[in-house]
Amino acid sequence: MTQPDLSLRATALRREVGGLRILDDIYLDVPKGQAVCILGPSGSGKSSLLRALALLDPLADGFVTIDGQAFGRELSRDGIVRRQSQREVDRIRARIGFVFQDFSLWPHLDVRANISLAQRVVLQRPADEIANATDRIMDRLSIAALADKHPGQLSGGQKQRVAVARALVLNPALMLFDEPTSALDPELVGDVLALLVDLKREGMTTLTVTHEMSFARRLADRVIFLERGQIVADGCPQDVIDTPSDPRVKRFFSLF
Amino acid sequence: MGFDLSSVVAALPDVGAASLTNAWMAVIICVAALALGIGFTVVRSLKYRVVNGVMSVFISFVRGTPILIQIFLCYYVLPLVGLDLDPTTAGILAIALNSSVFITENFRGALAALDDGPIEAATALALTPAMIWMLVILPQLLRRTLPMLVSEGTVILKNTALLSVITVAEGFRVAQQIGGATFRPFEPLIAVAICFLVLNLILVGVGVMVERRGALRAA
Amino acid sequence: MRLDPGVITDSWPLFVEGTLVTIQLSVLSFLLGLALAVPVAALSMSRHGVFRGSAMVYLAILRGIPFIALVFIVHYGTAASGARTPAFWSGVIALTLFASAYYSEVIRSTISALPPGQWDSGRVVGMSRLQTLRYIIVPQSLGSMIPPGVNVTIMMIKESSVISAITVGELTYQGLVVQGNTFAPFEVFITIALIYWGITLGVSRLGDRVERRIGRLQKSGRPTGGIAARYLTLTASKPVQ
Repeated sequence: MTQPDLSLRATALRREVGGLRILDDIYLDVPKGQAVCILGPSGSGKSSLLRALALLDPLADGFVTIDGQAFGRELSRDGIVRRQSQREVDRIRARIGFVFQDFSLWPHLDVRANISLAQRVVLQRPADEIANATDRIMDRLSIAALADKHPGQLSGGQKQRVAVARALVLNPALMLFDEPTSALDPELVGDVLALLVDLKREGMTTLTVTHEMSFARRLADRVIFLERGQIVADGCPQDVIDTPSDPRVKRFFSLF
Repeated sequence: MGFDLSSVVAALPDVGAASLTNAWMAVIICVAALALGIGFTVVRSLKYRVVNGVMSVFISFVRGTPILIQIFLCYYVLPLVGLDLDPTTAGILAIALNSSVFITENFRGALAALDDGPIEAATALALTPAMIWMLVILPQLLRRTLPMLVSEGTVILKNTALLSVITVAEGFRVAQQIGGATFRPFEPLIAVAICFLVLNLILVGVGVMVERRGALRAA
Repeated sequence: MRLDPGVITDSWPLFVEGTLVTIQLSVLSFLLGLALAVPVAALSMSRHGVFRGSAMVYLAILRGIPFIALVFIVHYGTAASGARTPAFWSGVIALTLFASAYYSEVIRSTISALPPGQWDSGRVVGMSRLQTLRYIIVPQSLGSMIPPGVNVTIMMIKESSVISAITVGELTYQGLVVQGNTFAPFEVFITIALIYWGITLGVSRLGDRVERRIGRLQKSGRPTGGIAARYLTLTASKPVQ
């Protein structure tokens, strides 16, 4: 039921916390290679959407389709709600690269170990393959010199690169970035943008929650505007940011 | 010989009444331990070499030995040096000294985490050291260490049960006496355990109330 | 007040025996208490309210009643249930229960002191909860568990003196026997106090060494300079241990 060129599909996602609707009936198709930016006022559910797509939080309803397989509460044709086993869900998470706002590196492990741990215990790659893949990804992100350092010794920008490497080395189907610039000094915003543009050029699908308009304009093929857990605008950056039709979106961008 | 709930209920009035002794002893000890703890802390901050040397040995000794032995020392040994205290007073003294040491050690850690700014400002305003302690340091210190002080309070309350071994007629001793008289030693123990749980709950509740009031005032 | 060293020299075998029993009680309760603390901590961190609630009740009871009451409850309780437990084992059970309540709290609080993102960061690369616990959470918590764990161990060793009340021949009990025979309270209680002091200091040193071995000995406090240091530090140079 999923087209082969689809990287991710979200169907009827709904999440409630304490009776409050955080995500309200979200439908989303992301084709392979697309760079999506998710905008919206704080508290609109941007980060919740990203976490839901990464299957990190329990959903009240709906499911996420990745690699042609549905995860969440899937209503099958015979009307029975199907849930996947925890193991299946755990395994598919390795296919979804996630870079946290605060990077959440593992402080007890050096950079090399941060990047190789999941290859070993989740993908169970052989040791030489792990070493090769780790070397390659560190070269690619220019962090080879940091291999023996611990996260406590790294700058914010370096931490982010390690976090990206940790996710990318698992060959994910797509990459999710939660506010990639908010924990960094302003002058590093350009570096992050360059990193994301590189990923896009290589054909990686990315979904990025951000507050940076410059990001959305220069990176995104598509911008999604979220308010109160609902997608209220969805289109190319020019349409959504520069000539918004929805009054809520208009009000938001008039602040910039 | 199975468990007999009615024996628990029968023991409750006497054990409960005697547990009030634990409650008031605990209140006295809490006040004394806090006062001593603050005093020790201020004295240590003056950094008299000899005084601090003696204090650190005393602190290490109190922290490193059982409270029960400290109670015995106060009860059996102080009379030898002419201080003949009745069991209740000796016990209160022992527990208060014990807890004051834990309190001053906790204050030491909390002090190191306080900001320099307010103290420097107060010094610039020519406040005397005594005023700086009273107005600047202690209010912050007490607010920060309140959770620890409450848990020290529960330790104090529990320690009062140890005074049964030096014949103070508190809840635990009365429970043991009832057990001896009725040949059912187990049930009165359950009764006294219930009494302590209730007192403990009250103490923690008071702590939460104080904390909330403090939070309101700080807001 | 005259000191009579003869009191100690005449009864030293009793003190040695008592010390050995105290060490036995402590080592057994340390191991069993730690083993029991792991499932209790797991319950107290469970996602299910029923498990969390039962752990809370367990902890509230064991931490709320005086240890001396717990000792007698275990002693008479096992007797009433028909099992004639020797006093020594009643003591071990009571001390194990006591220690498990405090060790589990050490485990729970150090683990929940980690940033919540650390759990997510393990899950997000595909690890299961158990793998995240094993590779991410436990290695980070182990070092910070040692100082509070050592404190609980020292507290437990000191608390073991209360087991004398059910006539287990540990150090305090032997002291009371000698005191009953000699009426020399000062010599006796100072001697056993010094022995306890030695044991607890030894355990504290051992804890420091283990912590250094794990390599996570955190330096406490920060350099405080100037005027404020007059108030905020209690020692002139290094803190005295």
